[in-house]
Amino acid sequence: MTARQGGMREIYPVESNDFQYRSEEEEGRFTFSLEGDSEEASPSVALEVEATGAGEGVCRTESGRSYPFAWAWVGSELHLWLDGALYVFQRPQPRRRGSTSATDASGDIMAPMPGAVLDVRVSEGERVERNQVVMIMESMKMELVITAPISGVVRRVAAQPGQQVERGMRLLEIAPSDAPGQL
Amino acid sequence: MFSKVLVANRGEIAVRINRTLRVMGIAPVAVYSDPDVGAPHVATADQSLALRGSTAEETYLNIPAIVQAALDCGAEAIHPGYGFLSENPAFARACLEAGIIFIGPTPESMETLGDKLSSKDVALAAGVPVVPSSPVCLPGEPGTERFAEQCGFPLLVKAAAGGGGRGMRLVHQRHDLDGAIESASREATAAFGDGRVFLERYIANPRHVEIQILADQSGHTIHLGERECSIQRRHQKIIEETPSPALTPELRQRMGEAAIAVARAAGYVNAGTAEFLLDSHTGEFYFLEMNARLQVEHPVTEAVLGLDMVEWQLRIASGQSLTLHQDDVRPQGHAIECRIYAEDPYRDFVPSTGTLLRWRPPDGPGLRLDSGVSQGQEVSIHYDPMLAKLTAWAPKRELSLSRMETALSEFLVLGVVTNIPLLRSVVQHPQFRSGNYDTGFLEWNPAVTRPYVSEETRTIARALGAWASGQSPDAAEPRPTVGANGGTVSSPWQSVGARRLP
Repeated sequence: MTARQGGMREIYPVESNDFQYRSEEEEGRFTFSLEGDSEEASPSVALEVEATGAGEGVCRTESGRSYPFAWAWVGSELHLWLDGALYVFQRPQPRRRGSTSATDASGDIMAPMPGAVLDVRVSEGERVERNQVVMIMESMKMELVITAPISGVVRRVAAQPGQQVERGMRLLEIAPSDAPGQL
Repeated sequence: MFSKVLVANRGEIAVRINRTLRVMGIAPVAVYSDPDVGAPHVATADQSLALRGSTAEETYLNIPAIVQAALDCGAEAIHPGYGFLSENPAFARACLEAGIIFIGPTPESMETLGDKLSSKDVALAAGVPVVPSSPVCLPGEPGTERFAEQCGFPLLVKAAAGGGGRGMRLVHQRHDLDGAIESASREATAAFGDGRVFLERYIANPRHVEIQILADQSGHTIHLGERECSIQRRHQKIIEETPSPALTPELRQRMGEAAIAVARAAGYVNAGTAEFLLDSHTGEFYFLEMNARLQVEHPVTEAVLGLDMVEWQLRIASGQSLTLHQDDVRPQGHAIECRIYAEDPYRDFVPSTGTLLRWRPPDGPGLRLDSGVSQGQEVSIHYDPMLAKLTAWAPKRELSLSRMETALSEFLVLGVVTNIPLLRSVVQHPQFRSGNYDTGFLEWNPAVTRPYVSEETRTIARALGAWASGQSPDAAEPRPTVGANGGTVSSPWQSVGARRLP
């Protein structure tokens, strides 16, 4: 019997906090329980799990339903395909990182997807209002309008028209209007 | 008939056209961009010619390079597929001038019909009702103001050369009009090489029903029934079915006759599609535009009629007459198509890129897959994010929807995010099942664009995540395919270094 304790985080299709679990595996029978604060928050499940090929398996629930599944590592992410849907997990991170949204509260704008910068509508030192269009990107023949997450002053323009950018690359920095002296 | 045809396209449609060319004993020739070295549309052709560059403008939209490629390889004809240059009269003309047959309508009727506005004039003259619209213009040019005043808001900004929802914007208030015209025009320039736009009255939540037509060079024109295309996101179709649950035999006949009337009035030759907006409450329909090309969703028509649209395109282009008559067109059963996109349905349909680590489409009775990708391939930012089309057929609608639902649940994709869960939610949805839906479906049912995971499934997913993370990472590496002689079979993408497994 193999008993394990571990932690993971769900990042797709819903983002969750880190969760801790306890698992045991014996002769193809895999029991899994979440370690939560309360009884309700700690569901558990017993599955018969069998690997059927590289990165593939089938699991049978106690009610007798069986689900084929498959998995692959994409960098540090574990991608799981189950019953036609995708679930993505990550090992717990010490700090929250790699936010998938276009912006964070600080006024830094990251590329939400890989593509090309078509147009930069502001220049360094310029005052911008929240939701003002600051940049236009193109990806897969679609235009993406990038707006200012906060009102403030453009501190740095980090991408130029025509430039190819990767997802998560910094495009623009805006200093909040209530942060004087940051220009 | 031709002996060699160049396919000026990529992805699933080029693969699909290559297939028919082979069936007919015609040699398929591919063209490809730098990122498409070894892509399936190249691998399924007898011969391939490089178009240097990565962007569409440098490659699949490059008229001189494509015409030169056809001359170099000795192709007698060019099939343009859909998108790219398929509805570009300048391309059709360039082919003609080079002595190459363009598989599609004449440049003249493409000019008339490919342009959304002049096609409306043709329809009006043929006695077919249309949606009111403004004259065509470029950003900053006058003419839109007055129409906007008369028509009121909301209204649509559309690309004159548009299609597939590109260069289209819904505008709710005057304040946003100029920005929308500017942005639609820019997108249209990038996608079609033509930045002209126009305004059109917005008809809220109609059904989108289109009629397929075929016309030969002597003017014999028939229609092949309808396709219901009302399930759309960002004004782009994602699910199509035939027959439409909204059409009575009487309405089908009237719309079919209207489509034929427009085609005849424009001297249309080859395959085309008349798009209509249908108010299912009143049964009134408006001609929208004629798509002078093979449509993405043509497989549903093929499924219920048991014919090959590309074969007919080739026969007509080579001068053969259309031996089908209207009475021969007797659809059997029901077919539905789902478009599989590399995009995140839960994050505003943002395109997803990456390596297709796993790609295993479903199989079974009544299923058809049109795919332009293979396992290990890179899904890049350069082109449309559609990976494949899945079509299900059955004698009855209920069964073909069930076949589709099961097939979607069996469609294994890892490495990029896809819209498969959204497609499944729509196909399962009681309103979709009832057949009583319109183009506002996703808007009225926002729940299908939000992730829903039952507690039970979530726990199973977490358990399997924990189980898989306890396996050695090597256990997830797809094994190399071993050939009959014991050697490793190399696939084209491996040899060009496009592989990037973790």
